[in-house]
Formats: sequence, structure tokens, C-alpha cells
Amino acid sequence: MRHTFAIARRVVKQLLRNPRFLALSVAAPLVIVYLLKLFFDTMPEGFDVARYAVPVAAFLVHFLAFILCAIALVQERTAGTMERMFINGFRRVEVIGGYVLGFLGLATFQAVAALAEAIWLFELDYDGETLITLFVVVWLLAVASVMLGIFVSTFARREAQVFPFIPLITIPSVFLSGLLVDTDELPRWAEWLGQALPLFWANDVIQEVIEANWIFEDVWASFAVLAGYGVALLLLASLTLRETE
Amino acid sequence: MNAIEVERLTKRYGKIEALGGVDLRVPEGAVFGLVGPNGAGKTTLIKALVGSLRPTEGRVSVLGLNPLRDRARLRQRIGYMPQSPALYDDLSARDNVAFFGAAHHTPELRKRVSEILEFTDLADRANDPVHTFSGGMRRRVSLACALVHRPDMLFLDEPTAAVDPQLRSRFWTAFRELARDGATLFISTHLMDEAMLCDRISILRRGRVIASDSPRGILERGGTRLTIGRDGAEERSVIGGHPEDLAEALRPYGLSRDVRSVGVEADSLESVVLSIIGKEEG
Repeated sequence: MRHTFAIARRVVKQLLRNPRFLALSVAAPLVIVYLLKLFFDTMPEGFDVARYAVPVAAFLVHFLAFILCAIALVQERTAGTMERMFINGFRRVEVIGGYVLGFLGLATFQAVAALAEAIWLFELDYDGETLITLFVVVWLLAVASVMLGIFVSTFARREAQVFPFIPLITIPSVFLSGLLVDTDELPRWAEWLGQALPLFWANDVIQEVIEANWIFEDVWASFAVLAGYGVALLLLASLTLRETE
Repeated sequence: MNAIEVERLTKRYGKIEALGGVDLRVPEGAVFGLVGPNGAGKTTLIKALVGSLRPTEGRVSVLGLNPLRDRARLRQRIGYMPQSPALYDDLSARDNVAFFGAAHHTPELRKRVSEILEFTDLADRANDPVHTFSGGMRRRVSLACALVHRPDMLFLDEPTAAVDPQLRSRFWTAFRELARDGATLFISTHLMDEAMLCDRISILRRGRVIASDSPRGILERGGTRLTIGRDGAEERSVIGGHPEDLAEALRPYGLSRDVRSVGVEADSLESVVLSIIGKEEG
């Protein structure tokens, strides 16, 4: 654990030394949520804003946490620091654990900021229990996204090689995870593909809890799948991250 | 005892053979130079020795340990300075050194970090971010990271490439100090004046060791052009590179009065190495 904390401390220190990067990575979802508000304001009366507001905020957190973590890890590889870490005795489980811990703070901050802004801007009125559940699900999605970033980074040797993964992961997330249309209106194969994406499970919880009179029994299974998604990606990443050439 | 023993080490990347059956012995406590042109396989060999690369064939032993099987134990005892600085640019020199030091069970890490920053002459800029440093300073930070845990064996991959002569001289003073304290140094270089400073060198060409000896021993494989100015005429001959060859060549003259001048022009290490490589290529 000592090594994991050393890596996490170093990742946090690097993030803090980059105030511009840090500000941009928190400001970007806030600006996009605001633009979304301007767009939704043009919609006809009776348009169900709540159906889209929180899921879109969740998607932004998912996308940013995934991409920032993937690029940071690929930069480690291109700079040679990844190899140097291994030669100095850090192990791959410790590297992954350190990154998860290091990026958790940023992901939490992004989750709180994006969610708070969406609720405030769209004047959504939820009780305390719903707000906490929404935060937990967005946070879990952010954690799974960090894991996804780590996993994807193992397939890229340079930053540019991360970019093909962006449409590959984010576009199916937008169209197949229930963000824009209900998944039961999609062909069966597309519905299954959507279920392979973490945003599907997060959106499933969000759509349940923004309805009045929800109960935990309705959402626990999706919660479990989302958490399981994070664990599975962690295991996959620890298998694919190579210590030797 | 040998710190490094390598037998028939081969590394292939598909059809490309980066190392083709390398045999190597490095005595403990030596400053060993791996000499060779760019693309000879120097970095590949170092990576196989530090356990960052899985050989296709062959046997490698470093400090009596297998770099892959005994990875954890070996990594506590070796230091590695890669060819590129491999540092965290946003962090300070102190943070970089402390981070790599934290990978080892370095006692009193904070104190040790300050000591090593002093040793590498970085104490004044210890808290500045590395991205503000010159190339030479970054190399010194990289060296400090490799030394922080007091390794028994140091692998330095072209440590003085693109470094000014003054800094290079300081690096070599530091390397000699470390060797005096008992560390074994494995240094790759393509600079012949640097190779002359090693106790022993091996010449690597296209993934194969084509010669191993002391720098003096390699020099003696070259020739010496001898010019004797005698009775207003010059007699030129090429003799062997060994000092005894010179004595033998001068003996017939007995340095008589009519010998007005003696010119001796020995081959440089570079020309000897090039000639060895040339012979190898036929």
C-alpha cells in the first residue's frame, strides 16, 4: 500500500501543479451544462428537462474522467516514467491503484460540480436521499471511467493512439445507453451493446431516482453492475498493463 | 566475482534481431563501458539486464539474480538512468527524486534526497519544477533519481549524450567516486573519449559483441605510425600499438646522433574500433 499511496500522492501533486489543467477539467463540464441549458430553453413547453439534465452531466463527467486518465497514463509511457517506475520496483497493481486514488479526487470534484450546476440551473427539486443517490451514482460512474481510461491506455503507445478510442466509447454511450432514447426502442443487439457500457447502468439508476417514490430495491442491481464494471475494468487493466516488453 | 553474466542473449522483434547471442562478463566494482554506434543494441541489452525486456533466448544474471524471476529483489539493488531523462516535468527536482526513492526502502528518505541533490549539484534549484531546467540539469536530476537508494549496481544509458564537456567531466568524477565506494557501473556510450575512462569495454555491433578488453588492450590492437628523421630523410613505418612494439622498432637505431627526430602517431580508440568493426563486416 505504501507504493500505491506514493503514486497517488505524486499524481495529486502533478494535478495541483497544473492549475490551468485542473480549472479547465472542472470548468469544461460546467460550461457545457450551461450551453445545454440555453439549448433546452428553446424547447417547447412541457419538454421533460429532468429526463436529460442529470444524465448529460453524468456523461460529461464520464467522458472527462476517462480521457484525462487515459492520456495521463499514456504520457507516462511516452516520457519513459512508466518504465522507470517498474524498474524502480513499483508493481502494476500499485500503479493502477495509485492512479485510481489520485484521480478519484478530481473525479469527485467534477461529479459534485457538474451535478450541482445541473440541479441549480434546471431548477430540479429533489429530496436529500435522491440527491445523495444521484451523487453516488455519478461518482461511481467517474470511478469506472478512470478504470476505463487506465484500461484503454494499455493499448496506446502514444497520446494520438488514444483518440480513436474516444468515438469508439463515447458515441455508443450517447446513443445506446438510454441518454437520448429509451434502450427498449432500439434493436436487441444495440440494447445489448448499450448494456456493455457503464453509462447505461448509471443512466438506469438516474432515470429511476428522478421519478417520485423510488425505492432502493429498484436500483440496487444497476448500482451493483456499475460497481462491478469498475472492478472488472480494474482487473482487466492489471492484466493488460505490461511491466516488460 | 562477476556482477553481470550474460550467455547467448538474443532478442528478436519479429524478423528483426536486436541482440544476436550476446556473451558478456562484468566484474564486480568495475566501470564497464558498452561501446557501439547508434542502433547497435546497447539500450536493448541494458533493458534486458534491468528486467524491462524479456529475452527471446539466453541467460542473464545480474548480482547473482535473474532480472525477471527475481525482479523485486534485484530492483532494490540496481539504479537505472535511461537515455531520455524520464522525469515528471511539473514536479520539482526534489519531488522527482523523493518519488523514485519512495519505491525503495530508503532509510531517512528526506535526508538522503537532500544529500543526493547536493551530490549532483542541484541543491540550489531543488524546489524548482523540472520543466524550467536545462538539458544538463535534467540529466543530473535523472542521475539523482538513479542514485537515491544507494544501489550496488548502476545502469547508465548514454548518460552524457548531449552534455557539455564540463558537466561530462563532473559526471565522470561522480562515477569514479561511486566505483570507489564499491558500486559496479554499466555505462553505454558511443563517445570514445568516454570509453577510455572505463576499466573494461565491450564493442557491440548489430546486436553482437565483437570485442571485449580494457581500453588500453583495444588500443594495442591498432597500429602506430613511426617516422624517423635521419640524415635529412624521413623513414616511415607502421608498427603494432603495443609499447613493446615501439621499443622493438627503435632498437636498431640506438638513438644515434644522426637520428634527428622521432614521430609517433598512435591510432585513436575510435579508429581502432572502426577498424575492428570494418574487419567484422569484411
